[in-house]
Amino acid sequence: MEREIEQLTRLPAVEGAFLCDNRGDVIVSSDPAVLATVTMNTIGREIGRAFVALQAAGFPASRIDLTYDSWRLLAQDLGDAVLFVVAQPAVDMAMVRLTADVVVAAWQKDPAARKRLEKHRSERAQLVNRTALDPGSWLTWNVIAQRGS
Amino acid sequence: MPEGLTGSLAQLPLIDLLKMLAAAGQTGRLELSSGLDLGDLYIHRGQLVHAEAAGEWGEPAFARLVTWPNGQFRFIPGEEPPERSIAKPLDQLLAEAARVASEREAIRRVVPSMDIVPRLARKAPRPQLTIDAADWELIALLDGSRTAASLAAELGLDDFEAMRRIYRLKLAGLVEFEKPQQLAPAARALAGPAFFQALHTAVAAAVGPLAEIIIDDCLDAMGHTRQDFPRDGIARLAEAISNEITDPEKRVKFQQTMLALIRGQQAA
Repeated sequence: MEREIEQLTRLPAVEGAFLCDNRGDVIVSSDPAVLATVTMNTIGREIGRAFVALQAAGFPASRIDLTYDSWRLLAQDLGDAVLFVVAQPAVDMAMVRLTADVVVAAWQKDPAARKRLEKHRSERAQLVNRTALDPGSWLTWNVIAQRGS
Repeated sequence: MPEGLTGSLAQLPLIDLLKMLAAAGQTGRLELSSGLDLGDLYIHRGQLVHAEAAGEWGEPAFARLVTWPNGQFRFIPGEEPPERSIAKPLDQLLAEAARVASEREAIRRVVPSMDIVPRLARKAPRPQLTIDAADWELIALLDGSRTAASLAAELGLDDFEAMRRIYRLKLAGLVEFEKPQQLAPAARALAGPAFFQALHTAVAAAVGPLAEIIIDDCLDAMGHTRQDFPRDGIARLAEAISNEITDPEKRVKFQQTMLALIRGQQAA
């Protein structure tokens, strides 16, 4: 899996990449890590929840592309995990998406990678609960979930 | 995790928030985020005692955090600082931050962006001038074509320090600004016929005789023809075509071929 992550980090204007499970734990990361572990954990958890929320609202997505002034973050959903690519704003995102697709396909074919992902499996829906969210987010979540049902 | 005060810095600016926490004699960690940038401020009994942001500690970290125009905050009460990196009273730090902010604002009014092109004034503002060494370094580089950004890069200065020096020289009447030059857009390299031949082979392997139609449709949707298609658009075209390939295995194979092709083009 490390080799595939390197394919992403070798792309022009890409700063790093990492794969988080649904709890936000880092499964694999570029070396050196592009962000502090705690930041990767938070991003992993929050984006995992965002994918659940989108699905609950009836807008299932497999990718989220966040653009900031000085960063760009691509999140690609693998179901049991989320692949993140951190890049500069001027990155050729089509190139990143293409490479991410190839990387994910390689992991899906590789028994060792599949086993590693299996170990990290957790039900994403269980991550969205009252204790994990602040009151405002919990209310919003309920509205979204009702809308999607 | 204990729940604390949360909100947006756009609605409650950091300086006001800190004053509020200080007045209440609070202890805890104020977690700040703006995009992917993160920072922490630790308050102990109403005094700011530690700051961390972007690998910096203490006053430099605090100075960085107070410039964030927006972002989110969360105050986690009760958290003790891992260390103490700030000794100055909060009032003094806030006064300094306000002074720096007002200086930045004054500089921005005169030097609005790093795209401006400073050049030496044609007439000396006074019969006698004193120029300090740091400003002289900058003056020596003025050639009427370098932008503030390129001057900063050449002198190894951060943007703000470069703007500050240019501001000083402008106020002294030593420099004037050229209008930003409109650079002619660089000619974009074209993908070329060899690329389209290779592309056709790869698409045909995935979708068969529909290859030509799919390629032309995707080109059309992107507003291009084979003759004017730029090399830097190849990844987007490959992505558009791969969305038309329904067989997952063939799609991945096509994507791999395209990545190899793009790498070859970049190496050429």
